[in-house]
Amino acid sequence: MTPSNRAAATVRPDANPAGQSKRDIVEIDNVSKLYPSAEGKATWALLDVSLAIPDGEFICAIGPSGCGKTTLLNMIAGFIDPTHGEVRFDGEPITGAAPERGVVFQEYALFPWLTAQRNVEFGLKMQGMSRAERRDRAAEVLEMVGLAGAAKRYPFELSGGMRQRVAVARALVNHPRILLMDEPFAAVDALTRSTLQTELLRIWEDIGITIFFITHNIEEAVYLGDRILVMSPNPGRVQEVVDVDLPRPRQRSDAEFGKLYAQVSGIFHQQGDTGD
Amino acid sequence: MHRSAGSSISKVTPVTDTAEAQTNGAARVSLDLTPERREEIETQFQQDQLRNRRRRRQNRLALNILGIILFLILWEVAPRVVPGVNLQMFPPPSGVVGTLWELVSNGDLAKHAWSSLKRALSGFVLGSVIGIVAGLLTGRLQIVRDLSDPVLHSLRSIPSIAFVPLAIVWFGLGEAPKVALITWGTFFPVWVNTFIGVRDVPNIYVRSAASLGASASSTMIQVVLPAALPFIIAGLRQATASAFVILVAAELVGASSGLGYLISFSHLVFRVDMMFVGLMALGALGFLADALFAAALYKIFPWYGAEAR
Repeated sequence: MTPSNRAAATVRPDANPAGQSKRDIVEIDNVSKLYPSAEGKATWALLDVSLAIPDGEFICAIGPSGCGKTTLLNMIAGFIDPTHGEVRFDGEPITGAAPERGVVFQEYALFPWLTAQRNVEFGLKMQGMSRAERRDRAAEVLEMVGLAGAAKRYPFELSGGMRQRVAVARALVNHPRILLMDEPFAAVDALTRSTLQTELLRIWEDIGITIFFITHNIEEAVYLGDRILVMSPNPGRVQEVVDVDLPRPRQRSDAEFGKLYAQVSGIFHQQGDTGD
Repeated sequence: MHRSAGSSISKVTPVTDTAEAQTNGAARVSLDLTPERREEIETQFQQDQLRNRRRRRQNRLALNILGIILFLILWEVAPRVVPGVNLQMFPPPSGVVGTLWELVSNGDLAKHAWSSLKRALSGFVLGSVIGIVAGLLTGRLQIVRDLSDPVLHSLRSIPSIAFVPLAIVWFGLGEAPKVALITWGTFFPVWVNTFIGVRDVPNIYVRSAASLGASASSTMIQVVLPAALPFIIAGLRQATASAFVILVAAELVGASSGLGYLISFSHLVFRVDMMFVGLMALGALGFLADALFAAALYKIFPWYGAEAR
């Protein structure tokens, strides 16, 4: 055990010259995805996209509809395969969905026939964990998302914001390495959204997870992300990657915040000029 | 049914989302509304609600009973006032009630009803189980669907009653042909509805299951099946109706017990009043089956109908 560890420690600096810096947990290499469209034609949902996500990063993907951001997420999740290129997770090609890559969907994807607690327990049950252990783990995670009191309620008895908290808990309970979130707060009101954003950051900092977060809201991207992936459509591609070097907690009223907002917004305007 | 779902929603107070709003509101309101006064108004409000609900329920029950009485009066009067009606051929309730009592007190009605119920139930359970399994397979597996589609849909188009003579030739006059026929007739509505429900299960549930580590079989049993449940239940309900139709058809021709037999026997001995008792028993059984179904549904599946699909 020890010798091999030492060997790995000596090898790693070669593979990763930065030494201390974290290695990439997701590697997307020249990935393209072709979809059938109307009248038998085909469209490139993604064209030649390459990206590396370091372990522990909070990365936001933003772009107009048709830019392929959800396609990208679905590939990392393992729901779909690329037409060309390769997506790797932790160095291994992704072959399907797995609990190590948790997903929170835009629409409410909780199972309506299960209570909040049983929704959270679902993944653990699939692993064959005992009922008592499941209950403890679920209670712990529901507590983390601030829903300890709602464990016995069905999704239809929960507000939109609460449902998304349960959805986050359902993914987190499996101890995923990365959390893939597809516009998770798009359907909740603005006040609830800002609470959820703050709490998501807290959880992210507490458990040191990687988050890939899709949004169509520039402010949300600047508030949350370490980096912002700005994408453009026809064909879907990465137009620019913006580093957000603001300390947290970020203030939306800061001049620096406004500058970054304007920068991302400017990239979109450029898109409008060149896109059509 | 929608009322029960609505009331449980109104009971919910969001735990965190509006917590801030509530404390702000309380600070402002308490100037002219003391906590005691507020509690008083709340209790009053709840009592009023409870009373209203009870009154509405009582009114409904009273109207239900009144409707039955009106129907009985109409039935009693009609054969007497319409010219040319023979009371022997169209007996009013007063002519049937004696026969009803006779058949109830000597246990004949219970005996016939029980043997009908037994057949209907065993055929229904058998047909439903096969229908649900077939629906799951055809809904999820394209190959099974393409293989079975033309055959199943052709067989489905044949009215089940057309198989009664064949069933008697094959299985004789015992219980087997009746149960087989009811199984056959139950299978199709359950299969078709299950199939549609399974085929249209939102992809997002299947993807959720996959990302939570569910195997193909776990996804089928623990996700696809419950997600399709509203459709399956609609199919089961439809199937109870067809089970009764086939039951009676089968009992009319080759049986020595059952409500269908009672009706056909009454025909032989020309007892129209006895026929009426058989018909009423069938109506009551069908009504009870459906009511039981509805009541059980919301007990077992509290979320059913609450989620807009």
